[in-house]
Amino acid sequence: MKKMIFILSAVIIGGLTCGLLDVPHPFGDPGVVPMDEHFLGQALKDLSTENVVTSIVFDYRGFDTIGEAAVLFTAICSVTALFREGRKKS
Amino acid sequence: MKPLSLIVRTGCNLFAWFMLVFGVNVVVHGYASPGGGFQGGAIVATFIAFLLVSYGGEKIHSWVNEKIYDLILEETGLLLFITLAFMGLPTSFFYNFFTIPWEAYQQTGRLFPQGTTAIMSIAVGIEVAGALSMVILSMFKGIRLVSDRQIEEEPGHDR
Amino acid sequence: MMDVLHFAVLTMLLATAFFAIWFKGLLPSAISLSMFSLMMALEFYILQAPDVAIAEASIGAALSTTIYIFAIRACSKPRKAGGGDKQ
Repeated sequence: MKKMIFILSAVIIGGLTCGLLDVPHPFGDPGVVPMDEHFLGQALKDLSTENVVTSIVFDYRGFDTIGEAAVLFTAICSVTALFREGRKKS
Repeated sequence: MKPLSLIVRTGCNLFAWFMLVFGVNVVVHGYASPGGGFQGGAIVATFIAFLLVSYGGEKIHSWVNEKIYDLILEETGLLLFITLAFMGLPTSFFYNFFTIPWEAYQQTGRLFPQGTTAIMSIAVGIEVAGALSMVILSMFKGIRLVSDRQIEEEPGHDR
Repeated sequence: MMDVLHFAVLTMLLATAFFAIWFKGLLPSAISLSMFSLMMALEFYILQAPDVAIAEASIGAALSTTIYIFAIRACSKPRKAGGGDKQ
């Protein structure tokens, strides 16, 4: 059973590695992405921010940041509930 | 946890405040330089972790109040962020409603920290700093409660 | 010059990732994982992504290592009195 799992995972990983050699975009050349050019050209004019990453994170793709903040808030709620100060036995 | 030795505490006294100032700098200048809300908030939380490791848990828990991180910092940041997102609602959600026009930038040649992007960066920085500091403080508090029961006298680190 | 640095960083990535699994103790493994995050931050900086590099260096190398060490300390057996090194 263990040998079967090992052979199966080796075949899957080997196949994926062989498929990776034929990747459409080589390393360092992401190809042409239409939204990419639009963001790089328009971020300074639209938002007056020099950092394009910040303008994408906080303005163009704001919903993702709201989701990230919600995830962080849920994590804080769970950590505080898990490690709260327990009632002492008297 | 007892505080660490004199060398570590002196190094903490020297370098921890620079770390705090660097984190605040990364948050505030997130609109123009690499970094932003999340990264700067993580650096500020690293400052709390540094103080906690070098000075021990009891002193830190006597210095800070956890409700500051939980109630004030994190929820203020989150509410400010969502409020700013809703304030652009007459046009669209997350509309940048008071950005500086492009012509003014061309005339003065200087970029002002205006627009909702900079304020949202500060809001997310406040939120992340409060959240990660709260994680570390409350985890350490839970561990300390366990170890108080089991370990009565802990051998010191190097003194 | 940049290629040599890049290759060295990639080699260190592989070495630290291997040692993080290979060590028997949990504390050396956590420290090796911290080194892995540091090398990852250098790699991001070489690939011209400074935002991700700052996030990786502060969260991966500092905060997660602190949390791992707190967890290891909480799970380990209580030490005997009379010296931490003797166990």
